[in-house]
Amino acid sequence: MVNLTVDNKQVTVPKDATIYDAAKSAGIKIPILCHDKKLHPFGGCRMCLVEVEQMKGRLIPACTTPVTEGMIVRTSNDEIVKARKLVLELLLLKHPIDCPVCDAAGDCDLQNLTYEYKVNCNQFVDEKFNHEIDYVNPIIERDMNRCILCGKCARICDEIVSYGAYSVINRGLEAKIGTEFDGPLNCEFCGSCVSVCPVGALISRPFKFQARWWALSKTKTVCSYCGTGCQLTLGCKDNKVLTTVYDEDQGFHNGQLCHRGRFAYQFVNSDKRLTTPLIRKNGKLVESSWDEALALVTERLTQAKAAPASLAALSTAHLTNEELFLFEKLFRGTLGTDNIDHSAGFAHAALTEGLKASFGTVASPSEILDIQKSNLLLVIKTDAYETHPVIGFEINLGVKRKGVDLRIVSDKRGKLGKLPGAQTTVHTPGSELLLLNALAKVIIDAGLADAAAPGLSELKAALAEVSLEKAAAATGVSADEIAKLAKDYAAAEKALILLPIGLGYPGHNAALAEACANLAILTGKYGKEGTGLLVMGEKNNSQGAADLGIHPKASGLNGSAIIDACISGQVKTLFVAGENPVVSYPNRAKVEKALEAVDFLVVADLFLTETAQLADVVLPAVSFAEKSGTFTSVGRKLQQVKQAVKPVGLAKSDFEILNTLNAALGGQKYLNQSELFAEIAANVPAYAGLSQAALGDEGKLLPVAPSAKLVPVAAQAAAPVAGKLALVTGSALYHSGTMSRFGEGPMLVCPNAYAELSAADAKVLKIEDGDAITVKSDTGSVSVTAKVGYRLPQGVVFAPYHFGEGSINAVTDGKAVTWVTVGK
Amino acid sequence: MIMPLLKGLQITFSHMFKKPVTLQYPTERPAIKPNFRGLHVLNVSHDRAKCVACYLCPTVCPAKCITVEAGEDAKHDKFAAKYEIDMLRCIFCGYCVEACPVDAIRMSETFELANYTRADFTFTKERLLEKK
Repeated sequence: MVNLTVDNKQVTVPKDATIYDAAKSAGIKIPILCHDKKLHPFGGCRMCLVEVEQMKGRLIPACTTPVTEGMIVRTSNDEIVKARKLVLELLLLKHPIDCPVCDAAGDCDLQNLTYEYKVNCNQFVDEKFNHEIDYVNPIIERDMNRCILCGKCARICDEIVSYGAYSVINRGLEAKIGTEFDGPLNCEFCGSCVSVCPVGALISRPFKFQARWWALSKTKTVCSYCGTGCQLTLGCKDNKVLTTVYDEDQGFHNGQLCHRGRFAYQFVNSDKRLTTPLIRKNGKLVESSWDEALALVTERLTQAKAAPASLAALSTAHLTNEELFLFEKLFRGTLGTDNIDHSAGFAHAALTEGLKASFGTVASPSEILDIQKSNLLLVIKTDAYETHPVIGFEINLGVKRKGVDLRIVSDKRGKLGKLPGAQTTVHTPGSELLLLNALAKVIIDAGLADAAAPGLSELKAALAEVSLEKAAAATGVSADEIAKLAKDYAAAEKALILLPIGLGYPGHNAALAEACANLAILTGKYGKEGTGLLVMGEKNNSQGAADLGIHPKASGLNGSAIIDACISGQVKTLFVAGENPVVSYPNRAKVEKALEAVDFLVVADLFLTETAQLADVVLPAVSFAEKSGTFTSVGRKLQQVKQAVKPVGLAKSDFEILNTLNAALGGQKYLNQSELFAEIAANVPAYAGLSQAALGDEGKLLPVAPSAKLVPVAAQAAAPVAGKLALVTGSALYHSGTMSRFGEGPMLVCPNAYAELSAADAKVLKIEDGDAITVKSDTGSVSVTAKVGYRLPQGVVFAPYHFGEGSINAVTDGKAVTWVTVGK
Repeated sequence: MIMPLLKGLQITFSHMFKKPVTLQYPTERPAIKPNFRGLHVLNVSHDRAKCVACYLCPTVCPAKCITVEAGEDAKHDKFAAKYEIDMLRCIFCGYCVEACPVDAIRMSETFELANYTRADFTFTKERLLEKK
């Protein structure tokens, strides 16, 4: 620690702190334009000039100067103010000062400092810039005339997002922030650059001219897309969510968001939202009152109560913990059926079955912060970036700042593999299990296994048959590479495995989670900082749904079995809360048949989705912005969701819907959702002793006590079918689940279903980028747009599953790999 | 006792020789002072309202009677797609004029604002635009 004096205040800070950090810790504000706490110090704007007693004669930039013992710093005197004023005058010389029409006004660092330092006139005269403004881009509008060249956009894109869309181009007065070859911006559109821009040079186009910054009411809440659990601030006006407001002090991610989080909030106030209940009369869905709709649902559920086996319920993991708990109470408690599941258990079986078997708990034994604390990261599928982009940013930071050794085991290459030093092991599609078993085998054979690992002998016996050569042949990875990866993993002091799961990844099942856990347990890499296994649930509350047991416990049917039972006629009444099985569950034709076969289908959703269109009763539910409650994120972080706007039309929260039904069917009636949280805290061990009020803005990390056990996993490679391509499904970077289709940003950037082919296959099949192609399997066929790239190995096709039109589940059937033919 | 009475009568008497104060409105019109704050007018320049929808007037308005909604025109510029003043709420303080950074709004000499229905007191952009 270093002691210094800042404005007569004694400050003690770590030795790697700068003067700016020291002043900040003492509560002294030094003005900055180019500095950002997430980025490396830059020292470009010279606004933070201070005087240091020991370095008199010139002013020192506070943001780049490290502290030294006994330093005496003055952050403000006449000379400093004069220097800062001069900086502002020079910046304002070129700045257009079009504050009345600039969206940044009110939230503009340059405007605020100009006001604070009373820069009313300018001693210099010069012409303004005349750069062309980029109006073409649908997401980010770039007006380089307003730019003050702080370089924050270029640095955040490089350092954290690791995309590098921007750079300073040209020299001297001509210098500006440009894209490659000064062409159009074509990036991940995460909007990090927009969030850090101190002026209005980069603005969000969907929010352009919508409202003034000061007129927005700001509500801190949690994003409702993926499981990362990013905190975000919703900017609302006139009961509408208009934008997401950047707050650099929010969450582990310091306000960083991905494309979905920042630009896909419009689904809340979409015109397509359901505003009134619908009942099917004479084959058509017609508007009705809540009383009529709920009376009908109550009547049919009362009938079903007599035969609980004929009743099933599916829920999405987008609901809050309180709602999920009530969902379980209603169906398992009041109605007595065990046929309940969320996002199809097969998508979350890695948590509910895999981790349960390996660690005795349904939660990952690691948290997101472990990523940067680790020495070696083993990422299963490069798609971890696409499914959870903000966790991807953590990986970027870990690799680039902390020197984490990144190893990726994947069936395709991807962005993570481009990080410095990252090594991608590309295996044949569907051979993850074989590869992981081979890794375990190498670790055991090399004597690197922890002899005290529980279940070691069983695992040894189970792996006796595994041979490195056979595995190498089946996975397409050389034996040396497998051996090296295994040894490096075992040798790393701290190693963490990341496993994304979700509806797009049927192969990421319980067995794969167990195989991953085996590696961690074999080498004793769990239960300590920077180690373990992080199973990344797909939805914002996947972890909560697993914790609360929204899956069959005894003899009940899981998601896929429910669909089968609907067809066989065993299930006659189906309640679907927020789930869209028609698009997201495998085998669309089968799901549609099942939903048509079922006698009575109730769907509670925000939109008239493909599933809701088949329903007998549709109940309008509300989004995360219209209700309060809690979500549990990937790293077991329990966070509060706060209501920002009033429900649209007559829509009611799932809590209200389920509460009314529960009371009508003889269950308990709750006054509000927080009453349910108290019950969760009393019944679910991990939530014991917690209260909503105590969560605060930060949230709480739920405890986990893993009791590890090695679980032998049988592995079989997907046998190649001659003349066919291997189709693997997954997530597109811009989408999450099927809800992002109702957000503006994702639909502007990635509106249509596509299938990605390798350039080699495309050449053979004479398919060019953008062609309409047909993907055909034994299950069915679908027409999508072709995307030709270099990241896929020959023989592999990748398709995201989010789209309703051209949905890839028309050809898949719940297997890790689907063998397809592709043609025009 | 009698003196105050006489004084009063003197004032009354003197007024008989002065010009009458009463204005025979509406046949006679009052002379309006240059800083009078009457009905708002949106200034026009190059055939369009000067207003750029910066939202400073609704922000500063103490009566919260101004509603502005910005729009984007064909040249990507900001303009007031909606500009409404609720004259029933307006207190004619003139802060909107003072706040305007582009001299888009002024207050005219029009003071005859009586009307028959409440809706008629909502002055839309169309009604506020300067008539040339």
